[in-house]
Amino acid sequence: MSDVTPQADPRKLAEEARDRVRFEEDALELADQVYRVARRLVSTREEAEDLMQEAYARAFRSWRSFQPGTNLRAWLLRILTNLNIDRGRRVQRSPDMQPLEEGDYFLYNKLEEDGGSAEERVDERLSQDDAVAALSAVPHDFRDVIVLVDIGDFSYADAAQILEIPIGTVMSRLHRGRRILKRELADRAVGSTVG
Amino acid sequence: MIAWDDCEKCEELLQPFLDRELSDAERAEAERHLEGCGYCRKRYVFEERIRGFVRQAVVEEMPPGLKAKLAALRTPL
Repeated sequence: MSDVTPQADPRKLAEEARDRVRFEEDALELADQVYRVARRLVSTREEAEDLMQEAYARAFRSWRSFQPGTNLRAWLLRILTNLNIDRGRRVQRSPDMQPLEEGDYFLYNKLEEDGGSAEERVDERLSQDDAVAALSAVPHDFRDVIVLVDIGDFSYADAAQILEIPIGTVMSRLHRGRRILKRELADRAVGSTVG
Repeated sequence: MIAWDDCEKCEELLQPFLDRELSDAERAEAERHLEGCGYCRKRYVFEERIRGFVRQAVVEEMPPGLKAKLAALRTPL
């Protein structure tokens, strides 16, 4: 029988150090993927870099609360989205400033009305900057879900866990957010569609 | 004959269909409609295309140097 306490047990300490190093390495491996999502949750590259560093600092401090075998990328993004919300980086629009949304076929129909095929119109009329600007114009609550599902490849269930909202809210925000996004794209492809 | 109501319903199912989040029954309903409806089929194909376009356009890779800054935040051994 050893009378050494578990905390001071050198073998335990070595095991913990090994687990921590493994956790840190796994988290760093995922940094590229986490960044791609982070970048579109905020407006500028500088904000994304700050947010990444805050999130990783917190993740490294609280690594013990991660359950091995669960989704580390989702865990990291949960920390990151919480920080993003807590730090008040969001500029909330007043309800009357909410962008208009149309049906899911709206963009296709607008491009077809404009002449030619809708597919060709996308290539001719929409630039990379248009896509970035259209996504940025989607209000945060909706955009967060689009970014997690469409850029981060998360399931509805993962997105719900990350944002700590019910899955039904993920679905409705995603649905509305994509409609707003397509309306914004339509404005850029064929000029303002308001009215 | 395809009723206009079916197209409206199909439009509602477009997003969860492409996200593979429909129930089997809903999925079968959408597929049955799409088989006979070129109007909706074209719009489904376009939706996939526009999602791919946006995704490709907005992805920005991590700036060089950030990974080293993150690694520096690790607990020292």
